[in-house]
Amino acid sequence: MRTVLKKILTAMRGGVNELGEAVVDGQGNRILEQELRDAEQELKQAKQELAALMAESASLARQIRVEQDSASKREQDASKALAAGQEELAREVAERIVGHERRAGELTQTRELLQQRINGLKERVQRAERQLADYRRELQVVKTNERVLRTTAQIDTNINSNQSSLSTAKETLERIRDRQAREEDRQTASASLEKELTGADLDEKLKAAGIDSEQDAVNDVLARLKGNQAQ
Amino acid sequence: MDTQSLTLALGDATHAGRTFDVMPVAGDEPVLQVTVSGAEETPVYITVTDTQILCLAYLFDTQELNPERLHELHENMLRISVPMPLSALGKTGDHYVVYGALSPTSGTAEIMQELVTLAENAIDLLQTFEDYLA
Repeated sequence: MRTVLKKILTAMRGGVNELGEAVVDGQGNRILEQELRDAEQELKQAKQELAALMAESASLARQIRVEQDSASKREQDASKALAAGQEELAREVAERIVGHERRAGELTQTRELLQQRINGLKERVQRAERQLADYRRELQVVKTNERVLRTTAQIDTNINSNQSSLSTAKETLERIRDRQAREEDRQTASASLEKELTGADLDEKLKAAGIDSEQDAVNDVLARLKGNQAQ
Repeated sequence: MDTQSLTLALGDATHAGRTFDVMPVAGDEPVLQVTVSGAEETPVYITVTDTQILCLAYLFDTQELNPERLHELHENMLRISVPMPLSALGKTGDHYVVYGALSPTSGTAEIMQELVTLAENAIDLLQTFEDYLA
């Protein structure tokens, strides 16, 4: 991942990000895609192998259990034979027990080796999964980068052919300011219209001329109260 | 979501009192130019890939900037990029852009929200960084 990001940055700074000179070129892209496919293939193989080994290990465990069960069953038989004074028979049974135990031991050893291979393979699967995620992320960065370059190039040529040239930031700012001023004018206009409709503008004019009906009413009430007191 | 269904969805839609004017940009890549009402000066461009819906608006070009204050501008752009809602600042070619990336599974409401925010952010950013223009 780090190498891809560095490659992109180096190419960008070098100014090779012209269209047709894709930053991580098509070749690099194909190599990444091939690596991705290889990693996917390896993962698939490792998983199949792992499944087979795990099935084998389970089968071995079953066989070991059978041998152990047989041994313990024969042990009971041998005790019974001894108790019955059948020394010869007991010896024969003991020989069987040895056979079962030996086979159980051999199978356990095989299974332990198998378990080691399973653990190793599990690690390989995890490694492959991590690598796959890495490749996918890298490829996504490369592809998005190319898409952005192609897209902006397309926007530029399109705008250039439609409107003589891409408008500069200063022109855009001017248009923004024009619109904002128009909006402000509209707001002021609608506010004054509202005042006219409610008569608020007339009240303001009267107040400015020193004619305030509200103030007059207060004064009238005060005068009446004062008159009452005087009486 | 692809550009075609996006064109149809945005055509008659309104979001937060805004309408959208959608125009395909001619060329090999599926690119749309979307003008958001009330922020017509900064059109937003949309392109859809397998992994994301990329929306971007142009701010200014390198050659429009005062070269002596470039470092300061970059510093400020990096700082303002984090708290700015739904948008980040970046550069592609010589263009400084404000952009937002959405999941390809985003619905029309999310995309409209992104478009409105991006167009408004572009205007705010232009006015904020006006002093750095040459």
